[in-house]
Amino acid sequence: MTHLLETDVVVVGGGVTGVAVLRDLALRGVRAVLVERFDLGTGTSGRWHGLLHSGARYAVRDQESARECIEENTTLRRIAPHTIEDIGGLFVLLPGDDEAYADKFVEGCRASGIPTEELSQAAAHRREPLLSPDVKLAFAVPDGGIDSWSLLRSMAADAEARGCKVLVRHPLVGVERDGDRITAVRVHDAVAGQDRTIGCQWVVNAAGAWAGEVGRMARVPLTMIAGKGVMVVMASRYVRGVVNACRKPADGDIIVPQHEVAILGTTSEQVPSADDISVPPADVDRMIDMCAQMVPAIASGRVLRAFAGSRPLYKPEAPAGGDGGGDTREVSRTFTVLDHASRDGLDNMFSIVGGKLTTCRQMAEAVVDRLAERMGVTEPCRTATEVLPGADHGSHRLAEPLARVERDYAYGELLCECELVTRGQVREAVAGGLTELEDLRRRLRVGYGPCQAAFCAWRAAGMLAEARAPAQGSGDGAGPDGDREPDPLAGLERFLEERWRGQRSTIWGDQARQALLNHAIYRGIFDLHGDGVPDEAAAVTAAPTEDGGGDPTRRVGDELVGDSEGRTSSGTGA
Amino acid sequence: MRADVVVVGAGPAGLASATRLAEAGRQVALLARGNGFTHWGAGSVDVLGRVGGGPVERPLEAIDHLPEGHPYTLVGQASIREGLDWFAGFAAGAGLGHVGDPERNRGQVTAFGTLRPTCLLPEPAGGQLRGRVAVVSFGGFRDFSPALCAAGLRRAGIDATPATAPLPTWDHNRYFTGVELARAIDDAGFRRRLAPGLARAAAGAEVVVVPAVLGLNRGHEPWADLQSLVGTPLVEAATPPPSIPGLRLFAAYRARLEALSVRWQFGFPSVGVERDGDRVTAVRSEGASRLLTTRCQELVLATGGVAGNGIEANRDGSLTERVADLPVRGFDGRLAFIGDRFLGDHPLGGVGVRVDAELRPLAASGEPLLTNVRCVGGLLAGHDPTAEGSREGVALATAARVANLLAATPVR
Repeated sequence: MTHLLETDVVVVGGGVTGVAVLRDLALRGVRAVLVERFDLGTGTSGRWHGLLHSGARYAVRDQESARECIEENTTLRRIAPHTIEDIGGLFVLLPGDDEAYADKFVEGCRASGIPTEELSQAAAHRREPLLSPDVKLAFAVPDGGIDSWSLLRSMAADAEARGCKVLVRHPLVGVERDGDRITAVRVHDAVAGQDRTIGCQWVVNAAGAWAGEVGRMARVPLTMIAGKGVMVVMASRYVRGVVNACRKPADGDIIVPQHEVAILGTTSEQVPSADDISVPPADVDRMIDMCAQMVPAIASGRVLRAFAGSRPLYKPEAPAGGDGGGDTREVSRTFTVLDHASRDGLDNMFSIVGGKLTTCRQMAEAVVDRLAERMGVTEPCRTATEVLPGADHGSHRLAEPLARVERDYAYGELLCECELVTRGQVREAVAGGLTELEDLRRRLRVGYGPCQAAFCAWRAAGMLAEARAPAQGSGDGAGPDGDREPDPLAGLERFLEERWRGQRSTIWGDQARQALLNHAIYRGIFDLHGDGVPDEAAAVTAAPTEDGGGDPTRRVGDELVGDSEGRTSSGTGA
Repeated sequence: MRADVVVVGAGPAGLASATRLAEAGRQVALLARGNGFTHWGAGSVDVLGRVGGGPVERPLEAIDHLPEGHPYTLVGQASIREGLDWFAGFAAGAGLGHVGDPERNRGQVTAFGTLRPTCLLPEPAGGQLRGRVAVVSFGGFRDFSPALCAAGLRRAGIDATPATAPLPTWDHNRYFTGVELARAIDDAGFRRRLAPGLARAAAGAEVVVVPAVLGLNRGHEPWADLQSLVGTPLVEAATPPPSIPGLRLFAAYRARLEALSVRWQFGFPSVGVERDGDRVTAVRSEGASRLLTTRCQELVLATGGVAGNGIEANRDGSLTERVADLPVRGFDGRLAFIGDRFLGDHPLGGVGVRVDAELRPLAASGEPLLTNVRCVGGLLAGHDPTAEGSREGVALATAARVANLLAATPVR
């Protein structure tokens, strides 16, 4: 086996942390390669509610986290405004809530440097007309919405423009050690179907909730706690800004409007594996009932989907017995840099664990500072001041896509009426090498709207088929002429099945009707059955793992379920 | 308002029932919330496409293997034949001739290049795919991908090649739908301008598959005319909703109902009934600003299952029939509504109202609950119209049964 490439630093994990690390290295002039087992943002970074924290959520219990949040909140608004919807947030106190908590909340925010303003009832309702009339107190905080996929793409593009490399669909399958040093990492090229080796001087483990598995491959002890959080996607926004319950963190205490939907969050449950992203219907019901206390209209609203994400929680001492129980909210949300040289006698690997999306840049700075020191790189961190590509248009506004469709005739015909995706956008993405509906979903939000892919999916599948077909004068742009041409119907069937997984616990009322209408289209009209189709998903995702050094949670059979549920029902939006 | 028979629902079952009852001399009022599965279907008449997960070749024979309580078992083969015969005659009379019969299933080509099993096909969809097939779309039309269709046909062993024919300039919106394109194709001048490009795209193929957009308001004449202009058989592929063959059929029903003086209230959801003992005396529907009451001797419910909005699926797994609150057996929880695979079967698709052989709703005890109420089509328990491919067949067979039952009822 030859080395695929040689580099200075391999970063493991294509979530926001890993990509932020890559960008930080790029800005300091360090050669680096990021490896990701699926696509960027397919783990926790794509499975959360999309809140740009003000830190107020942590102001009472965890002021260190709170301070990190408000600092990074300010920084991200400066360097990545295009990924942020500047919508603000409220913390509301309901009858039955502890008023003493509100006092602690205000004090905690003050101590953490988070600007808050108490609103009168009338002002709170002017701002949020659907807010419950029972709300007793309301505090405005600088929460916001942030699109993690947009942030990921910008950071990755910036890093790549500066000479770093991103390898998606390259799961790490092994680590080659020579005594107390790592000499190379082995990755599996899931598209070409073969293992490759990347020679490197340093490794940064930024695999988030899966960091423990990277640790096992490198033969260093590293225990992550999988903290599952369930989120529910409503078919419209309901609120103008973020609405939080002003109480000790609990299930169903936040509503985040995002793009065309609202996301209700969240539960917090310790589970044995980060790949456990099942959604019990009782969790969905509880989330709706709790959030409806703040915004009553949610009780009778249309629920699109539910999904779960895995918080990357790190506890220095091993969790008690790993019994899979317990509320993980008690574990600090701040992050930790582990230097495995001093910790485990492994000379050239760092892990960055814990944290949250809002603080990803700061996490990257912390680990790269330590790494740079060891490498002898003297360039200072510049990620807090260098704005990201795409930032020159100011913050993201909800109506912008529609305004663009109306303003710019050439921008293209609509492919998806729900999410205002245009054929031009899809054409561009396909020309850029995307071959899977799943990638289009994460890139363009295809399949996210209330109809849940009834119309956009086959239109997009048609465009993918046209890109692959021999040129027949349709002029839709040439596709990637890769060595394998997936059957467009198989890809569509896979996409539909994967989307289905996130809907199963939310099928009732109008959405039940929608599901059966979609079934009548795909099964009834188009006569798709999904049987007898070679399942490429298995081939692509079931990367072989080293026995022992591999990942015990990734049995091939389960993997498909975990993976599909994961990456597909995923989505911050839903 | 008052009528002999109130029919609720304007899908395949409600439209056929109302038309047949009016033809039988009953005074009929049709109340509907909105459009039904004429608009959402493939535009053909499915009788029975699959049983027990396997494809069916001979639907009438396969009916013997259906479970007790299936609508076909209740109404019998004779009603199926009669329902389809009536439909074929009605459709042909409206300029919408069909090919096929209930003896065996044929393959209807779809926009995905699959060949779905069905019995009666509108003539434009009925041609055989033999030899070299060109799959042709029209420039700028979003809802048909020749590449996708051709790939599917090749998977089925058919020699298919994708192509696109340019559209002549016409007065259209920036994004046009199949409906707008079909309306344009109604125009003979437009067809003459379209034909040369279509012939070029066909490039000598023996058959040309096109999306089902060849005309909206002129029956099958635009298809026949364009076919003769191009000089190659044209086969319409089933497209996603709205179904233009379904719209043609809906328009034919509507014209027929108007000719028969059926009162027609569209956009009025029925939300309740008035009862006198075991009889319904009136239906209440929501008007723009008030409840409307329509008195009736007989009530035919053709409101559909969960997909058609005749039954509401509740968060706790229970089910509610929307008009007369008829009993519908629910589930222990909502997870039981659905299957693990989207493209598999879903129990929710097969729920409905249990009825006796005269299509009267049954109480949980098994006794008739309301003696002057008949249920037809997708509302009926015991069948899953999508999974088994039986939607139009059940609609027409139960409409035939209702027409026979109620034509014989003396008018009070």
